[in-house]
Amino acid sequence: MHKLGRGHRDKVQQFMTITGASEKIALQALKASDWHLEGAFDFFYSQPHKSYTDTTHLEELYNRYKDPYTDMILADGITLLCNDLKVDPQDIVMLVVSWHMKASTMCEYSKEEFFTGLQALGIDSLEKFLERISFMRSELKDEQKFREIYNFAFGWAKEKGQKSLALDTAIGMWQLLFAEKQWPFVDHWCQFLEARHNKAISRDTWSQLLEFARTVDPALSNYDAEGAWPYLIDEFVEYLNENGIIQNGQF
Amino acid sequence: MSAQKKKAFQIEAFKHRVVVDPKYAEKTWKILEHAIHEIYNHNASGLSFEELYRNAYNMVLHKFGEKLYSGLVTTMTSHLKAISSSIEAAQGGLFLDELNRKWAEHNKAMQMIRDILMYMDRTFIPNTHKTPVHELGLNLWRDVVIHSSAVQTRLQAILLENVRRERSGEVIDRGLMRSISKMLMDLGPSVYQDDFEKHFLEVSADFYRLESQDFIESCDCGEYLKKAERRLNEEIERVSHYLDAKSEVKITNVVEKEMIENHMHRLVQMENSGLVNMIVDEKYEDLGRMYCLFRRVPNGLVLVRDVMTSYIRDTGKQLVTDPERLKDPVDFVQHLLDLKDKYDKIITSAFSNDKTFQNALNSSFEYFMNLNSRSPEFISLFVDDKLRKGLRGVTEEDVELVLDKVMMLFRYLQEKDVFEKYYKQHLAKRLLSGKTVSEDAERSLIVKLKTECGYQFTSKLEGMFTDMKTSQDTMQGFSARHGADIADGPMLSVQVLTTGSWPTQPITTCNLPAEIRGMCEKFRNYYLGTHTGRRLSWQTNMGTADLKATFGKGQKHELNVSTYQMCVLMLFNNADRLSYKEIEQPTEIPASDLKRCLQSLACVKGKNVLRKEPMSKDIADTDTFLFNDKFTSKFFKVKIGTVAAQRESEPENQETRQRVEEDRKPQIEAAIVRIMKARRVLDHNNIVAEVTKQLQSRFLPNPVVIKKRIESLIEREFLERDKGDRKLYRYLA
Repeated sequence: MHKLGRGHRDKVQQFMTITGASEKIALQALKASDWHLEGAFDFFYSQPHKSYTDTTHLEELYNRYKDPYTDMILADGITLLCNDLKVDPQDIVMLVVSWHMKASTMCEYSKEEFFTGLQALGIDSLEKFLERISFMRSELKDEQKFREIYNFAFGWAKEKGQKSLALDTAIGMWQLLFAEKQWPFVDHWCQFLEARHNKAISRDTWSQLLEFARTVDPALSNYDAEGAWPYLIDEFVEYLNENGIIQNGQF
Repeated sequence: MSAQKKKAFQIEAFKHRVVVDPKYAEKTWKILEHAIHEIYNHNASGLSFEELYRNAYNMVLHKFGEKLYSGLVTTMTSHLKAISSSIEAAQGGLFLDELNRKWAEHNKAMQMIRDILMYMDRTFIPNTHKTPVHELGLNLWRDVVIHSSAVQTRLQAILLENVRRERSGEVIDRGLMRSISKMLMDLGPSVYQDDFEKHFLEVSADFYRLESQDFIESCDCGEYLKKAERRLNEEIERVSHYLDAKSEVKITNVVEKEMIENHMHRLVQMENSGLVNMIVDEKYEDLGRMYCLFRRVPNGLVLVRDVMTSYIRDTGKQLVTDPERLKDPVDFVQHLLDLKDKYDKIITSAFSNDKTFQNALNSSFEYFMNLNSRSPEFISLFVDDKLRKGLRGVTEEDVELVLDKVMMLFRYLQEKDVFEKYYKQHLAKRLLSGKTVSEDAERSLIVKLKTECGYQFTSKLEGMFTDMKTSQDTMQGFSARHGADIADGPMLSVQVLTTGSWPTQPITTCNLPAEIRGMCEKFRNYYLGTHTGRRLSWQTNMGTADLKATFGKGQKHELNVSTYQMCVLMLFNNADRLSYKEIEQPTEIPASDLKRCLQSLACVKGKNVLRKEPMSKDIADTDTFLFNDKFTSKFFKVKIGTVAAQRESEPENQETRQRVEEDRKPQIEAAIVRIMKARRVLDHNNIVAEVTKQLQSRFLPNPVVIKKRIESLIEREFLERDKGDRKLYRYLA
């Protein structure tokens, strides 16, 4: 603060008083708006996630779930969290939570991940957490966010140190994700993989599947064989044709 | 002096009016008219040229040119009318004669008349833009005689009739025809065309249409073509003799259209005599004729080429899918070569080496040869056979010929990498068993392959030759060093093979007999002594041995066997009878190999140095083997080893194919990386096209495989998909 000129300092004070934000955030907002207060307010309020969270409350929350022996939240802690939130541990909203946390792997959260995620969501208590659940569910409806969450899921669900995602984990994730997104072929896709592929899923195949589900219609009428789809998807289309699931563009 | 005015002295123009006597013109004309009459009546000799000329001159000078000219016209016209009548009066054949004669006379007359009227021709006529005398004479002849209705129709009819008669074999007066033609041509640019040529072409078209219809019903293809050719030549000759040269191309077009173009398809497809039959029966003359004739019509050669191509493709396809033929690879390939020779001969001798036909032949061969995935293997087997025995005693030039022909077939292969694999295997067997007819021939073929496919293709093959040579030197060194100690033991000959150059072999277990083992150790020590840092492993599945055997009645034979067989036989030095297990245990040879080698030793007539109990065909674990005391053979040296290259069994073929597919993956990846490194960003279809282009000299990559390789490279982070366009790939440095 003492590095700033008087005028700027005043503005920072004013900003903090009005919005209740931290000094750091105030500086960020004012810098982004070239030290115009109105602009800074716009900037601040357009990022609803960056609302003020109390770190001490967060500590308390974290300690509730953290494993007794390690400085992380492990499976038991997560189960407890889910109970508190009144959601099933398999509920897809937990994926969204993990996404906000940028969690590196499923079934565990580091302290940093927990803090990052909850701060981003503006949560520092269980009540606020419960409130944000519906907001997080709504995020899945956003096309862009869903894609980010979907692609995030790959890295999160796979084993540490592995390049590819084990098939059954992948299938589980797909069932979950496409229940939200409503892709009519999800069951056929999983059957096909179990029958014909039986190997891990690469990142490219994972991400391209979403594109396929988004762009190609249920009758496969706009499927382009020259479309540089991963070969697994080409084989899937063949499988659908062979088994009469798609006939003459009818599904 | 008087004051009179003086008048200027005027000189008046000399107004000498020569008033010509009006009767003068009339009189002069009469003289000239009379002269013309005389000329036409063949009485020109009595006339004085000088006088007539002067009269004409004076008439023109005194402004009576008009009278002279019109008088000329009238007089000539009346004469020509008379001539016309006399021509019309001529009967039948004499018509033409009469016409011709009168025409000649008219020309002569015209000449004389023009000479007389030269002054008018040069002055009055140009000034008044009237037709000059000579031309006038032609025009009048044309209008009055030729175009008089009676003469015109009759002339046309008779000319055409003459042509018809000549076409049916009669002899006509060609000289007369020529004169008449020339007359028509002289009479003006379109007289020949309109009065004769047009109708000539029409009538000819009808004639040939009928004739061709008749021929096509009654003749076979070859005969028909002969007839067509004859007619064509006839017409050309006819034109040269008595028609305008410009008519040639027109009449030949008519013949070509009616006789050839209209019946093209029927001729080519004619049963029992069409193009295909000609090819099968090697009727070079007929084929040549067909080529020359069909060349003249649009799409004629295209038709011939297409029919030939589909025939070659069909027969080729039959050949490569016929299981009978495929049983003997050497025979199969010989057949292909014979087929190629046959077609080459047809193209050179009958189709005048036409490049488009060559190309069609090449693409057909490429098409059907690659229908059979074993073609590369079979060609290698063929070469193996030739280099083993087929080329024994053949001159160097002939060897080159055979190898060049094989190279031609090689070029058609799409899967050259498969050929390379087999060739390497077969070459290894040839080299190791020492069974090659001519090392020069081997080297020559390698050079040809290098020229065709580049250094990479043959570097390993050349490595194999080098190893053989080096091994010889090594053996020399070995004998020199250990000469004394090894003199008593078995004679060992070792080839040291560099692992990378030779076809990969699985390492198999095999316990060599004690006598051999000692020798092998000595060699190993010697070799490793002179070459540090190397590892040697005995390839017991690739060796051979010569054994001296004595049988029951004292017959001695020399047995040439594989190393495995040697190990088995040596056991019988200490026992007359051994069970399968008793053989398997000490030798430790893998079961399938052991069974195969026992089969050759015990179950093949003429080579059964062992007896088997029971006498079944196959080897069972429970069998017992006995030394066959009663073995006999006509030959002293008996060859039992199974080292020669053979057509692979189905499972072996599958295995090789799998290995080839595995080898292709890194090649495809290397190509992808090369391309992306240069281009940085490229879309999917273009990558596939570029990779195919780069690799096509070795094999045709499968687009699905290319896609899988791209995905593998994406996973290993050599490439990534473009964020905006999923069909685009980027190279990651």
